[in-house]
Amino acid sequence: MKTIKFFTISFILLFTFSCEDDNNIGIDTISITVEDLHAPLEGGQGSPVGASGPFTKFNFENGIQTDSETNWDIAFRGTSIIVNGGESMGTEGEPERNGDGAAYIFEGTMNEMEIVEISLLTEDSQNSYAIPTGSGNGWYTYSGPPNHIISPTPGKILVFRTHDNKYAKVEILSYYLGAPENPDAFTDQSRYYTFNYVYQPNEGATTFD
Amino acid sequence: MIKRSIFCFIVILLSKSIMSQSVLSQNDSIKNNLDEIIITATKTKRILSSIPLNASIIKKEEIERTSATRLTDVINEELGLMTVSDFGGGEGIQIQGLDSEYTLVLIDNQPLIGRSAGTLDLNRISVGNIKQIEIVRGASSSLYGNEALAGVINIITEEPANGFNADISGSYETHNTIDNNFSLGYKSQKFTSSLFVNTFSSDGYDLDETDELNTVNEFKNITTQLKLGYDLNDKFTISINSRYYNQIIDNIASITLSGETNISEKNINLKMNHKTKKFNTDLEIYFNSFYGDEFLDDQNGNRFSESFYDQTLIKPEIKSIYEISDKNNIIVGIGNRYESLDRTYFDIKPKQNSPFIYFQYDYRPLEKINLLFGGRYDKFDEYKSQISPKFSGIFEFDDNNLVKISTGYGFKAPDFRQLYFNFSNSTIGYSVIGYNVVNDVMSQLIDEGQILNIVVPLEEFDNSLSPESSFSVNIGFETSFLKNFKFSGNFFNNSTRNLIDYRVIANKTNGQNVFSYYNINEVSTYGVEIETKYKPNNNFKISLGYQLLYAYDLDARKAFDNGEVFARLTPVSSAFRLKKSDYFGLYNRSRHMAIFKINYNNLENKFNSSLRLRYRSKYGLYDSNSNNYLDKYDEFVNGYFTANVSLNKLINQRISLSAGIENIFNYFDRQNISNLSGRIYFLRAKYNLK
Repeated sequence: MKTIKFFTISFILLFTFSCEDDNNIGIDTISITVEDLHAPLEGGQGSPVGASGPFTKFNFENGIQTDSETNWDIAFRGTSIIVNGGESMGTEGEPERNGDGAAYIFEGTMNEMEIVEISLLTEDSQNSYAIPTGSGNGWYTYSGPPNHIISPTPGKILVFRTHDNKYAKVEILSYYLGAPENPDAFTDQSRYYTFNYVYQPNEGATTFD
Repeated sequence: MIKRSIFCFIVILLSKSIMSQSVLSQNDSIKNNLDEIIITATKTKRILSSIPLNASIIKKEEIERTSATRLTDVINEELGLMTVSDFGGGEGIQIQGLDSEYTLVLIDNQPLIGRSAGTLDLNRISVGNIKQIEIVRGASSSLYGNEALAGVINIITEEPANGFNADISGSYETHNTIDNNFSLGYKSQKFTSSLFVNTFSSDGYDLDETDELNTVNEFKNITTQLKLGYDLNDKFTISINSRYYNQIIDNIASITLSGETNISEKNINLKMNHKTKKFNTDLEIYFNSFYGDEFLDDQNGNRFSESFYDQTLIKPEIKSIYEISDKNNIIVGIGNRYESLDRTYFDIKPKQNSPFIYFQYDYRPLEKINLLFGGRYDKFDEYKSQISPKFSGIFEFDDNNLVKISTGYGFKAPDFRQLYFNFSNSTIGYSVIGYNVVNDVMSQLIDEGQILNIVVPLEEFDNSLSPESSFSVNIGFETSFLKNFKFSGNFFNNSTRNLIDYRVIANKTNGQNVFSYYNINEVSTYGVEIETKYKPNNNFKISLGYQLLYAYDLDARKAFDNGEVFARLTPVSSAFRLKKSDYFGLYNRSRHMAIFKINYNNLENKFNSSLRLRYRSKYGLYDSNSNNYLDKYDEFVNGYFTANVSLNKLINQRISLSAGIENIFNYFDRQNISNLSGRIYFLRAKYNLK
């Protein structure tokens, strides 16, 4: 667990293809598990204000991290997640938004998240991100003293519109390198995302069947 | 008739306490001990077995038999009671599943103050000079007002026997824990006086050797009590009861930071009693001050932090009992509570006067029936005044069988911390603001540019915070279908409203939050207590008690009911939806608790011993799977047994020796149970000077 530092920017992709074909659209949805996506942060913690450093950008269609200025869907920095849509909050290192990205949080399980509610989607803005920051507001819960653990809140499914108007749903599973069963905030390295997602590659399709 | 018999019992009680100076009590009858007089339940002297409330007494003999030294030791061997450690190291009491801030603690009928985050540390109280401990379960604000929401514990100290008497005792325990007692008493026809001194010290212990901190730091404390009484004539008595307590604890916060925590408490009660055939009137003035301070210095001796806490309570009260006939009496009391607090993190020094009036009507329409009605009005300026009614009744079929019901209202007023706190954490940067100073402090923070956005509109703080309140019901029975076998049971329900919690009211520009208090939770605790006592012969006495407890936050239960709560089987697996039955309940509550006791008493050889076995089932201390609720997929503290044994031998008229082991199984849990240190051996000697 401690030795694989070079894993920080590589990740393992597990492709599974769902074979149901009930909505007349050509390409199947894609289910992927991303492991240990590194999202470093400089400065402030828990809030975008005061934070700096580059975001780790991600593209759902290819399932990989990207350095592209335009071809990214979401990006991570510490516990903050941004979308490629709307406006920047103006923090140092925050990328320019140039796509159609938007997001909302669905309360439920991954399977229950069946159809995207377009009306709930919001873009990032000058005041706040579409995925709210802070413990209990967005995707995670911070345990506070004495353990200081950041855990993905169960039942929070992040629903995204990609930069090119497609949809994905994400369940974050771990914030620690190697996704340990019982993370220790003092010894395990944090800011490593492990998450499941389902991507709907068909233009205009809002379901994940 | 009743009055006279009560009088007789008092005589028996007095003569018995004279006789039983030793640890060997002469007569432990299985049922309805006639010498068990309880004051707390009705503010009059009543026989325990005849009152309609859910109450119990722990007597001096029992405390001595177990060689208990602090009140916590005693409480943990009582059914349905347990002490719970808070983060500051204090040990408070949990009654019927309600937290320690909701139990009123009295010494000689007068309230103790000096709570740390709601917990009144029961380790502050030495049991070296206690006549008995009276416990009333269920809301009792109708007589006692504030804090008597879950129940009342009243520690009654000893009165001296006739003539001159003195004794001295000392005990030594594992962890270099030393407890010494000295008491001196004198009583003549008109004059009584007694002096008690206790010193208690320990090296503490460390359950987790991997860090620099100790689980319990080294401490020492002293308790002194002086009581004087004088009969002016056959109607007037005056008395003074004063108590002083001081404790010093080493304060070690890290390798580099260390200091000291100091607590001192002074109280004095002046009392004048006037007694005629029909009227019995007490005029009392009670002063209580609690002072605490602590500091931490760094390695170079520079002051890192310091804080202090200075609380005062002054309570004059006049109470009169009027014996209308031998079938009924009435009590009326009136008084005022003056409280003030000066402490670090307060911008003001809050003061409060809360006048109160109460009455109680005690009616015995038939020999077998006793009814109690009562109520109390407490007037507050800063929050809603409180009316606390009660009703209770008992029906005695015969000497051995009875049923009883008691209902009542209890409340706990918001404390000064919840109203006036102004605290900003210097290292992490969050702020906590008392409800009444939210507008002032927030406008200051806004002016300083510290606020990013406001989450709760400030207008919401214009209404006052409500006291936390509870309505409780206890329904019990007692029966002894065999001569030496007694069985009793009690069902209880506490519906608690307006519990005060804190929430985020604003986000700060430094990424942290501003918290303040609000009324939110509704909590329900209910369950059953069952106790059997069996006395096979003159030597043995056996008892078994069991408590079943359900303690729920009603909003949490609703969230489970609505399917809004999720969990994962392992921390990194996909989440699933929880069912209603997956909700476990409140933190730190065990569903099952049991206590088994055997006493062996051999009068011929002047020897006795007692064995106590206690079980507490699993409980949760925090939410381990990040859904903010305690559900069955969380990590729990394992259920556990503890056992204590003690042996006592009366060597001669003057000397008695005791020895024993606490926590025989050497059970401990480094992470979760800080007040269980592993096995403890003790030796104790007592010498009667007279």
